[in-house]
Amino acid sequence: MAILIDKNSRVLVQGITGQVGSFQTKVMKEYGTEIVAGVTPGKGGMKVHEIPVYDFVEEALQSHEVDAAISFVPARLAKDAALEAIDGGIRFLVVTTEGIPDQDMLTIINYAASKGITVLGPDTPGLISPGRCKLGVHPNRMFTEGRVGVLSKSGALSYEVCRVLTENGIGQSTVVGIGGGPLWGLSQQAVLKMFQDDPETEVIVLLGEVGGTTEQAAAAFIERYMDKPVVSLIVGRTAPKGAQMGHAGAIIEGEEGMAESKIKTLRSAGSLIARSPSEIPEIIKTIWSVR
Amino acid sequence: MRLLEFQAKRLLSEYGIPIPKSVLAKSQDDLEGLSFPVVLKAQVPVGGRGKAGAIRIATQPKEAIATVEELLNYSIKGYPIQAVLAEEQVEIKQELYLAVLIDKLACLPLIMVSATGGVDIEEVARESPEKIVKKHLKPFVGLQDYIVRYLAKHIGLEDQLDGFRRIVNQVYSIFCDYDATLVEINPLAVTPNGLVTLDAKVLLDDKAAYRHEDLFVKLQEEQKKSAKSGKTGAEQLAEERGITYVPLDGNVGVISDGAGTGMLTLDLTQDVGGQAANFCELGGLAGAESMLQALEVVSASPHVKVVLISLIGGLTRMDEMADGILNYLEQHGKSRPLVIRMCGTKEEVGKARLRTAGIETFEDLETAVRAAVKLAEES
Repeated sequence: MAILIDKNSRVLVQGITGQVGSFQTKVMKEYGTEIVAGVTPGKGGMKVHEIPVYDFVEEALQSHEVDAAISFVPARLAKDAALEAIDGGIRFLVVTTEGIPDQDMLTIINYAASKGITVLGPDTPGLISPGRCKLGVHPNRMFTEGRVGVLSKSGALSYEVCRVLTENGIGQSTVVGIGGGPLWGLSQQAVLKMFQDDPETEVIVLLGEVGGTTEQAAAAFIERYMDKPVVSLIVGRTAPKGAQMGHAGAIIEGEEGMAESKIKTLRSAGSLIARSPSEIPEIIKTIWSVR
Repeated sequence: MRLLEFQAKRLLSEYGIPIPKSVLAKSQDDLEGLSFPVVLKAQVPVGGRGKAGAIRIATQPKEAIATVEELLNYSIKGYPIQAVLAEEQVEIKQELYLAVLIDKLACLPLIMVSATGGVDIEEVARESPEKIVKKHLKPFVGLQDYIVRYLAKHIGLEDQLDGFRRIVNQVYSIFCDYDATLVEINPLAVTPNGLVTLDAKVLLDDKAAYRHEDLFVKLQEEQKKSAKSGKTGAEQLAEERGITYVPLDGNVGVISDGAGTGMLTLDLTQDVGGQAANFCELGGLAGAESMLQALEVVSASPHVKVVLISLIGGLTRMDEMADGILNYLEQHGKSRPLVIRMCGTKEEVGKARLRTAGIETFEDLETAVRAAVKLAEES
């Protein structure tokens, strides 16, 4: 079993008629994801890659059972779309959009929480359970089925690391992109807990970066609750203070935002530390060999 | 966007929050109508002005204008002083702290107050956290009066509850109305005439700029004058095009199609003994045009000896990235060696297009980084 999704997940795509939404829908479908419906206001009645399109989430839900939604809706319209999906009671929502205003995200995250709905993102590539289901934009061939759970702020960094893992014959149970911040629907701790509870995940790889204090919170969680091994790679060791390093959340404002501070905290919480992607398979092989 | 002090105070004042009588002083005429002594404060978008000697007191107009002229020759942390705020001095009985901000871990607005204001609040938080009173505000509930009363009681301000209540409510309104990520008054002074804002810091969310277009245009226009001096050609070009650009000290130009892999590439560059000259991140939805522009930006720095392009796209398509690189070479020629690592969506097409033009790409990032650093050393 993977976390958050499995091969039976029935998926609705918001923004399915846009260039990115349409292309990624095709790639997800080819991967085996069961996409049952799409929504784009004003495009109801169309079909995209054989998938029926509706004007409203509510209309889609009248004809289809939906377990999860993924949104490719542009930033200015993203709050409206997310609240519509939450109102429809879809249990799991992936928000890929980058650049959503912080106060819109506060509304989305807190409204979802009040209804017990899980939001992944924003600014996330989504998640993939290799060989089973993909709710995201990952380049398929870098991933392979296995027992390592990966969580990452950066999508590209998770592709990089999984590519190296796959080349070394190490597969992944689920790869979760939590997003570039500065606000996160699903936190690192929440995903760590899911991996801890997932019987198919044996080792967890945490990919973090400079800025904010989320890795410190994750370290506290690891120390208190995790008995599975965690391997962490924190990028931005050479990032200058005060520079925005491409993600909204990746800006060093205080001492705690620096890579070395996060690495130190994670190490003392019991996490193993890698300094480059190629060290990760070595560390995992060592873990498996001593067991 | 960080507002300059006078901009932040103007916003607070529009919401009825008391500020001292003040004016942006350029000549002696500007000071007419102010009672002396006045406080002269350099308008720069960075903290630490007091320590830098950029906050002065003047007892009469002649002295004031001499100080203003002196300050206008200085810069603080690279920011030239282009404006000085002259403000009537008020009698301070106590200095408080008040802020509404977004608590990123809790995903909730947070209101913070302290009876120990006027100093660096992070220092107070580190050394005596019990002196800061915090309350999360729940969306759909907002700021209720019991929270205001609770805060007032815990900083010993019950005798000034009405004034405090007005200010806290208005600060929260500004936070909501303008998509602020921080509205901070420090210090909020207790004076014989009630509570007065002596300094304020406001951060607005750039992602929401489209909702406040007129305000952003006005603020940016006013700030142009106090922009950081000595911007390089590459920095200016990046700003015009809205590209993420970070200047660094080395000789390898780095372009990536992801923030995480970009930072990783910079780290690996240093690990093998090299140093990046600058860094451009394309963002998830980049096409050929973005790649062309990023190459132009990075190459605008004279320190760049080699350009290292680190690509592993999900949303970015390698066919389009290849087109961007080829377009750049067609328009500008090959002034420096390019080291390209290409992986991801449509990579077969991208690589084939580059190969036709005689350009080989790397599969492995760490190998590509080593190649780039070696080339930079040799050139």
